[in-house]
Amino acid sequence: MNLRSLSYFLLVSTVLLVTSCSQSPVFKRHKTVFQIGDQQEWAAKDLNDQYWEKGKPIVLGGQIYWFRTPIDILKASESLHPYGIQLDVYGEYEVFWDGVLIGKNGNPGQEAVLPPEGKMWATFSIPTHLTEEGQHVLAIRSSLYYFPDHSGIWGLEMDYYDDLLNDRLIESSYMHLFAGAFLIASIYFLFLFLSDKKEYATLIFSISCFLFFTLILAEFIKAYMPIHYSMHIIRLRIIGLLMLGISFLIPFYFSMQFPFPKRKLLLTIYTGVLLFFFLSKYLFELTANNMALSMWLFSFGIVVFGVYKKMKGARLVLLTILLSVPIGFVTPFNKSLFAGFSLILLGMFYLLSLRIKEQRLAYENSLVQSTRLRLELLKKNIQPHFLMNTLTSLIDWVEESPKKGVLFIEALAKEFDLFNQIENQTLISIVQEIALCRTHLEIMEYRKEINYFWEEEGINPEEKIPPGIFHTLLENGITHSLPLEDNSITFKLIFESNNGYKCYTFLTFAAAVRQKANHKKEGTGLKYIKARLTESYHSNWDFTSEPTNTGWKNTLKIYS
Amino acid sequence: MNILIVEDESRIAKRIERMTRDIFGDALQSLKHINTLPEALKFIENSSLDLVLLDLNLNGDNGFNLLRTAVSESFHTIVISAYKDQAITAFEYGVLDFVPKPFNRDRLEQALNRTITKEKAENNKIKLLAIKKRGRIQLIPIEDVLYIKGAGAYTELFLANGKKELHDKSLEKLEQLLSSSFERIHKSYLVKMSEITKISVASGSKYMAELKNGEHIPIGRTKYKDIKAKWL
Repeated sequence: MNLRSLSYFLLVSTVLLVTSCSQSPVFKRHKTVFQIGDQQEWAAKDLNDQYWEKGKPIVLGGQIYWFRTPIDILKASESLHPYGIQLDVYGEYEVFWDGVLIGKNGNPGQEAVLPPEGKMWATFSIPTHLTEEGQHVLAIRSSLYYFPDHSGIWGLEMDYYDDLLNDRLIESSYMHLFAGAFLIASIYFLFLFLSDKKEYATLIFSISCFLFFTLILAEFIKAYMPIHYSMHIIRLRIIGLLMLGISFLIPFYFSMQFPFPKRKLLLTIYTGVLLFFFLSKYLFELTANNMALSMWLFSFGIVVFGVYKKMKGARLVLLTILLSVPIGFVTPFNKSLFAGFSLILLGMFYLLSLRIKEQRLAYENSLVQSTRLRLELLKKNIQPHFLMNTLTSLIDWVEESPKKGVLFIEALAKEFDLFNQIENQTLISIVQEIALCRTHLEIMEYRKEINYFWEEEGINPEEKIPPGIFHTLLENGITHSLPLEDNSITFKLIFESNNGYKCYTFLTFAAAVRQKANHKKEGTGLKYIKARLTESYHSNWDFTSEPTNTGWKNTLKIYS
Repeated sequence: MNILIVEDESRIAKRIERMTRDIFGDALQSLKHINTLPEALKFIENSSLDLVLLDLNLNGDNGFNLLRTAVSESFHTIVISAYKDQAITAFEYGVLDFVPKPFNRDRLEQALNRTITKEKAENNKIKLLAIKKRGRIQLIPIEDVLYIKGAGAYTELFLANGKKELHDKSLEKLEQLLSSSFERIHKSYLVKMSEITKISVASGSKYMAELKNGEHIPIGRTKYKDIKAKWL
């Protein structure tokens, strides 16, 4: 359900982002011209500035420079509803509109002596009588003590003054809601990871969500927190770092979900590319752009490989990655970044939910399997072949030789008792297992009237083994073999261990061990053994069963 | 009486042997115990037997192969098994009785008595008759059999599709097994009652039964009253 609400939220946000950019502007901006120096007349509307410099100057030492931008107002403002102008300008400055001072942002020319004042993004109201339809001039008197090469206007927006302020707050409040969703997702998946520390995919997803949350915060903090232009670089560095982190983690995550050959090498090369972009001294937006682009390309490659290999979930993720492209074209960079990222994060979210579902199913299966194995172990003693044959023999012994009958009953009681002790365990002591085998032989001696012998070699009493494994092999040995000439069958259990593995060899010495009629069909006994071994040792075991000249040989290796 | 016991549990085999000797007494001519399936098959092939006491689970083998062979032979088969759920299948194949383990002397005696007294088996579950054809066992559904004609030691099965098959069992033994739907209307004939459409008296006071397919089968003089009553 979390996934669904997130996707709705994403849809709403995307729509809002797109619509906020689609209003027709009320103004037209012309080219800005510059002049270093300071004359109050330069604020005037009808100054002849045709000899002013066209290129952005480098203004050293915090000296004053002026720049003028002609602006056409296409539609006069309504009375009581003044236009405002929003500026993204480095430096401390005064703003003149048609020669009239409409605002002040810091102390131009006195930066070296006064502490930093003013903010990076400032909005100024323009008196209504100065916003008639037609040409106007925006003149700015500024100094640029900290970043002499960042002169000029970086961003300019004109609209109703209230709207300029409100829209930004509305936009950032939506984006913060959005960020909150990712924060919650991040915390949730962090807890999920803490409860199962092997699941690194969850951790990476959690970190990606958190980085994305901070990225949104860092981007939209400017709407409500004044930042002096000298400090702005810190914000950009933070954004760059966050971008670097996200751009690395997203493809890394995909590479975990859709493993491909030479993964380490390719990831290292990719990291190199990212670092190159990060460290190169281009404009921030270009750096971020390059990182986002490489992230997209690399992720795309991985997911296409996943689709090619028909890996689960790869198709939907590919769709989200492809969807992020048109969004990137429709919306301006900083918005497409968020829309695109969130789509890709949603894809990751989907993958994670698939994996969690798989794990849950696997876990449920393992529970069912354990119960099934437990029942199978219990069934050994009540399945008709064992029980009814034993009881028939028992009746006969009681009728013919009551004393022996009593011994038989005691042996039977002992086997039942041993089964009761082990029935709910997945690993038991080898000593218990051997006791079980010996009692079983005792019972079978009464039934079959064959002399059974049990031998063991090198048994380490500390060792553990899944219950009923050798008991099952013993049963098979009894069922499928005929006694030697002296009416005996001998079973032998040998234990060896070294650094790599532990090995049990279970031998049957008998006259004729019947060949299995068909090897394709595996008996329930062998199935039981294999399921028990898998339950306790996963795939770190090996079991072979083969005839020998003297009978039968089973070998069980458990790798450490 | 020649009897074969097929059982891989030595103690149980001895029990059956002891009780069988006791029950049959002097009537017993030979008694043989075998504990593996291939040996049992070989022995059946080469000896003339009257009864086989069969365990269906031998050394982990499914004894139904042996059962199919056994029921196609001239002798009766009694299954002694730990698996009660196999009883229905065993009866479908046409065994004389099924003795579940653990058993006592009374239960075994009851089963063995059926072979002596020619008591009719309370077996309405029989579904198949196994016949040997070109060295292989073929199973014929009882519903396809119209009537059976005694031909010395063996019998001829007349089937609904007009074909005739040979069975190794005598008419007496089949009568025992098929008593629920077939009647011995003549010393040489065993007829499915539901196939008879008409009972008539022919010249020379010969009684005849007419079957659905138009065939006429004689009814024994002594049996006529009885058969007519049952048929009506």
